[in-house]
Amino acid sequence: MDIDKLAKEAQQYQLQSVTRRHFLRECVAGIGGIALGSMLGGLGGCSSSTGRPLDAGIASGSLNPMAPRAPHFAAKAKRVIYLHMAGAPSQLELFDYKPELHKLHNKPCPESILAGKKFAFIRGVPKMLGPQAQFKQHGQSGAWVSDYLPHFSKVVDEVSFLKAMHTEQFNHGPAQLFMHTGHARLGRPSMGSWVTYGLGTENSNLPGFVVLTSGGKTPDAGKSVWGSGFLPSVYQGVQCRSKGDPVLYISDPEGMGRDLKKQTIDAINAVNQEEYNSYGDPETLARIAQYEMAFNMQVAVPEVMDIDSEPEYIHELYGTEPGKESFANNCLLARKLVEQGVRFVQLFDWGWDSHGTSAREAIDVGFRDKCKEIDRPMTALLMDLKQRGLLDETLVVWGGEFGRTPMQENRDDKDMPFLGRDHHTDAYTVWLAGGGIKPGVSYGETDDIGFSGIGGRTSVNDLHATMLHLLGFDHERLIYEFQGRPFRLTDVGGELISAIV
Amino acid sequence: MLKKIGVYSVIGVAILLIGVFSLRQEKRVDFSTEVKPILNKHCISCHGGVKKNGGFSLLFEEEAFAATESGEPAIRKGDAAHSSFIQRLTEDDPELRMPYNAAPLSDDEIDVLRRWVDEGAEWGSHWAYALPESVPVPKPRFSLGALFGGGGSQFPSNIDYFIKERHGDVGMGFSPEAEKETLLRRLHLDIVGLPPTPDQVGAFLNDTRKDAYEIRVDSLLASPHFGERWASWWLDLARYADSKGYERDGIREIWSYRDWVIKAFNANMPFDQFTIEQLAGDLLPEPTKDQLIATAFHRNTMNNDEGGTDNEEFRVAAVMDRLNTTYQVWLSTTFECVQCHSHTYDPFKFEEYYKSYAFFNNTRDEDTYGEHPKLRLYGAAEQQQIDSIKTWLSQYATSDQLASVSLFLTTLEPKYHAHYCDSLENGALADTKWLAMRNGGTARMKAITLDGKDAFYLNYFGAAPGGRMEIRAGSPTGRMLADFAIPTTQASQVISVPMERLSGVHDLYLTFRNPSISPAQAVAMVEWMAFQPRLAGAEDPQYEEKMADFVELLNHQPPSVPIMVENPPDMARTTHVFERGNWLVHGEAVEPAVPEVLNDFPEGAPVNRLGFAQWIVSKDNPLTARTVVNRLWAQLYGRGLVEPLGDMGTQSTPPIHRELLDWLALEFMHGMDWRVKDLLKEMVMARTYRQSSTIDDRAIEKDPANEYFARGPRFRLGAEQIRDQSLAVSGLLSEKMYGPSVMPHQPEGVWMTVYSGAEWRKSEGEDQYRRGIYTFMKRTSPYPSFVTFDASSREVCVVDRIRTNTPLQALTTLNDPVYLEAAYHLGKRMAQRGKREIDAGITHGYQVAMQRSLAAEKKEALRKLYDEAYAYYSANADALEQFNSEFRTTEPGDASIAAFSVVANALINLDEFLTKS
Repeated sequence: MDIDKLAKEAQQYQLQSVTRRHFLRECVAGIGGIALGSMLGGLGGCSSSTGRPLDAGIASGSLNPMAPRAPHFAAKAKRVIYLHMAGAPSQLELFDYKPELHKLHNKPCPESILAGKKFAFIRGVPKMLGPQAQFKQHGQSGAWVSDYLPHFSKVVDEVSFLKAMHTEQFNHGPAQLFMHTGHARLGRPSMGSWVTYGLGTENSNLPGFVVLTSGGKTPDAGKSVWGSGFLPSVYQGVQCRSKGDPVLYISDPEGMGRDLKKQTIDAINAVNQEEYNSYGDPETLARIAQYEMAFNMQVAVPEVMDIDSEPEYIHELYGTEPGKESFANNCLLARKLVEQGVRFVQLFDWGWDSHGTSAREAIDVGFRDKCKEIDRPMTALLMDLKQRGLLDETLVVWGGEFGRTPMQENRDDKDMPFLGRDHHTDAYTVWLAGGGIKPGVSYGETDDIGFSGIGGRTSVNDLHATMLHLLGFDHERLIYEFQGRPFRLTDVGGELISAIV
Repeated sequence: MLKKIGVYSVIGVAILLIGVFSLRQEKRVDFSTEVKPILNKHCISCHGGVKKNGGFSLLFEEEAFAATESGEPAIRKGDAAHSSFIQRLTEDDPELRMPYNAAPLSDDEIDVLRRWVDEGAEWGSHWAYALPESVPVPKPRFSLGALFGGGGSQFPSNIDYFIKERHGDVGMGFSPEAEKETLLRRLHLDIVGLPPTPDQVGAFLNDTRKDAYEIRVDSLLASPHFGERWASWWLDLARYADSKGYERDGIREIWSYRDWVIKAFNANMPFDQFTIEQLAGDLLPEPTKDQLIATAFHRNTMNNDEGGTDNEEFRVAAVMDRLNTTYQVWLSTTFECVQCHSHTYDPFKFEEYYKSYAFFNNTRDEDTYGEHPKLRLYGAAEQQQIDSIKTWLSQYATSDQLASVSLFLTTLEPKYHAHYCDSLENGALADTKWLAMRNGGTARMKAITLDGKDAFYLNYFGAAPGGRMEIRAGSPTGRMLADFAIPTTQASQVISVPMERLSGVHDLYLTFRNPSISPAQAVAMVEWMAFQPRLAGAEDPQYEEKMADFVELLNHQPPSVPIMVENPPDMARTTHVFERGNWLVHGEAVEPAVPEVLNDFPEGAPVNRLGFAQWIVSKDNPLTARTVVNRLWAQLYGRGLVEPLGDMGTQSTPPIHRELLDWLALEFMHGMDWRVKDLLKEMVMARTYRQSSTIDDRAIEKDPANEYFARGPRFRLGAEQIRDQSLAVSGLLSEKMYGPSVMPHQPEGVWMTVYSGAEWRKSEGEDQYRRGIYTFMKRTSPYPSFVTFDASSREVCVVDRIRTNTPLQALTTLNDPVYLEAAYHLGKRMAQRGKREIDAGITHGYQVAMQRSLAAEKKEALRKLYDEAYAYYSANADALEQFNSEFRTTEPGDASIAAFSVVANALINLDEFLTKS
């Protein structure tokens, strides 16, 4: 298979079809917009009855809390696709090339490195573990990528790397929460919730914040990583599933066709209109609008979630197999969703926790297989977005919740059956592309063995501040008043990483 | 001409100034209502608890008047002209003018501050931190009910006089009383969470007695469903769930606590007792089983079982959650803000956080997998066995000894968890949970107080034949205290071993041996260990037999519930300040104490959790009763008397109804002796409560959010209520109370959490149709339809569910099989009126669902839907067959049943059904 040839063909096809589809979509959205606008005209206030006012920079005043809103300043990115590798992949086998670590392979870890450090599983004095992959520089930018990601290495010039990311948490649950809500304990809104709270969404027939999972499990921290915390629940991520209803209860019961459902909703809304006439409660009008949206969503969601109708070359490009739950399918879905105006698409792929307790968890076996699973689809996603002209305005982020140690894991102070690395907070790699990211930059540097950042260290709050900046927000001003104090995604930290924007 | 104007202006200004001046003399500036809000708005984010720029802070009195970095105080009492605090507000140089880098204060604001300083800068406390001794009811002096247009009668509640007075501020008045049917539905939904039946509505409409309404109120308050409805509210505060939370989110058996809450509400338990039992029931003298179960309130904190987690880190997280939740639930205070620094806005100091923390920092729970300590809920036969041992033992043991035996039998406490061991040689803490020592491996237990403790208990599993264990004092080769075989077992078991007597505090060394296993294998997996005195009565011939019974009981696995158990003195923890809130960085040690700004610690109260609980419900506490009153009010009215519900302090909105709040709080404590039912009765008897909720243009314009309560409440029902109501009107609702949580229908594949083998197994029979409060609550994957309707995932305390209105909610009540089944059963009830009686059937269904008569226009729309659906199913046999399976009909339905079910589906989606009005 020649991925470059496929990409070129795809581009041809795209050019032929874009005009017609674009026209149709704009028309439909336009008509829907008018109808909704007139229905809601003249009403003020937020639909949530206890929600606190939005930040002054964000216009409210629509009864629909998901109505599109302008950010603080002109945005470079209009939407986000976030690819989270749950379990935390090893940066030392993918992007952070450490030839020195080779030389130390199998030698005991120097005590000076271990002093005062806490690890999840490493006990006593572990051995160093040299990189298990072969590294080369790629593209104009000369980015280091290992042979675990052969496809991805061809698109590195679209990408910027943060090589000295660090976090505060070394257990999966808290670290994932920190990564997605800016706080290691539960109760805070996820970044997708913040973004839809700030920007609303462009397609009211689809949820504004969609979550797709693969790898057979949901992330360790549970659904809170896409929860809305103290924000109104309308901003929480909606999990679209590969099996059963893509969104819970989206399908009509069998034996109740679309026409009958339409008639049912017409009857409900006719009675509700009467109720409004006698009680005058604006919430009743909002409910009428929600039932119309629900009806439209029932068509729009299954349509966008159906990848069967995608042309063959697209399936080849991504490596998709319709009907399966896979990261590849989710990458293709992510593209379809952002194309349809979904604001934030969050992918979680589970199974990256390479401790070395089994072949599946081995750096040189299971981990390598996981890399194979994502290499082609994530590369395809970047190429596909680019050829459709979507990459400029779509921010793509890839990463885990922390990094892995340069030491070999020695759980319970004994040798492991396979090669593995423990959880590590001090250094890991995240890459970003599109949506105003300066391409081809590698920012941040770790020491000779990849244990700690020694320059250009960036925190989770910094990453969030930068993402919000690209979306047009001053992260210190995107706030929500809760229990008497203003909250924000970046809590009390966060600095723009200007080297990559 | 110009000159003339000038002269007039001068005169005008002079007159104005005199006017203002004379007004000033009448009223001094009030710190709490006038000055503090300005400071909070403009100053305190840079001169407060976090930042103290220029060495100047306005959070506490002593700091505000202390010397700043300039060496001089910024505020000179009585001399605004020479106070830099005032000067800096009007500087021309933007580098000097305050607020720095922000818009200047308005002239009015500057004037308030200037006058305040000139008047002596008297500091005051915020209203929230002082409760008046009494509040007069604003009854008109020469009353005569005729004034109120209520037909000459007085208001039914003093609440109404307060509300009426505020109406005057905005030129509004009470709305007319709601229609009787509407009022009855409102009352039922509020008091028991279920709608009235058609019979109950009929009886009420025909009841002409003067006190017909009050009779309903009393009977609803006496219903067992009362406890279920109000427990739903409390469980959000208690963050009750059936799982542990975090990554593995394993199942937790804690439903006895939920049942305790229901029973406490039903028994009208006084709120002070309700508080003390939940916070410190274990510290009451000879606590009952129920008082111990009550303490599960604070065992609803999450428990992290993820491999590689530090138990101490998550124990600390749980204790902090307890503290923050306590302040939130009882005192409407955002105490978590003080965890890292002094409060930004409220007068709480950083150290005070840890002084309060110290009250909670001495319980036995340590984030262990087993969630110890747990109260073992023995069955009747086991209890008999226990009683017989205790009776026998009482011949030989002192009452203290008896109490400690009793504690050990009911809680297996005090014990040491595997993670207490350190200095592990040739072994490890497996999965960071169990002590797994290999052949010859040793572990240390630091500083064990042994006085009189000559029996060792070991709980372990997975031991191969041939295992032994030694306990030595001082070093791995020190004095041998015990050397014994570890009996082979796969399952978990407890053994008791005699130990040599030794007094004092010792480091103990445990050595494990089993030469027959492979070098990598552990001798046993140890969960916990305990040191106890041997049972008394060794001289008795029955001793061996009694001892065997005792150990056998320890090995029973009765149902249990996590509870609070206080550390014995030799295991007590010292509390340190955590620098910047970081649990790894210990600052100075602190003793338990309550914040200075609040009421004093009650005299003679023990300085522990019990004393702390007594402090919370002391009648001098300015926040507790107000908090309860405010939140109960919000349950009925959709908004509190003070907002937000989570913060009664300097950041709350200016309270329009402060007098009413205070009056109710005082009544609740003194007049009603803390009884919640009495308080609710006062609230629902009020004229204010009984108003119609119709909103006219005037109301929208003057008071869109109903802050003045000049109309009745109208808002969407809560998640559980929506489910309960649908089941009730369809006749499916089970009235079964209590017991383990149930699993009603849930789509496949919703539970996909890592590592946990837990499965959603649909409950059988009536358990599918229990009230929402009994639905199994898994934190990382809550029941989908509840979450969609804004229920909490119960990970943290939620005081105020936000009410949203979304398309996903519509999809739930339209398509969730639970609601389809309810629609079928309601449809069947409608069809019972007869095949030809379509309109009568529709009217009946509407009345059952809405408890009021059906307006002609609405009937028309529903009839049209019936006809359309009937035509569809008559013409479409396949669709009818599918209907029978999707709506889960109990017998094959015909086109008419199907059409009625479609209409019923519409009914349970109506705004008026989903809304309390």
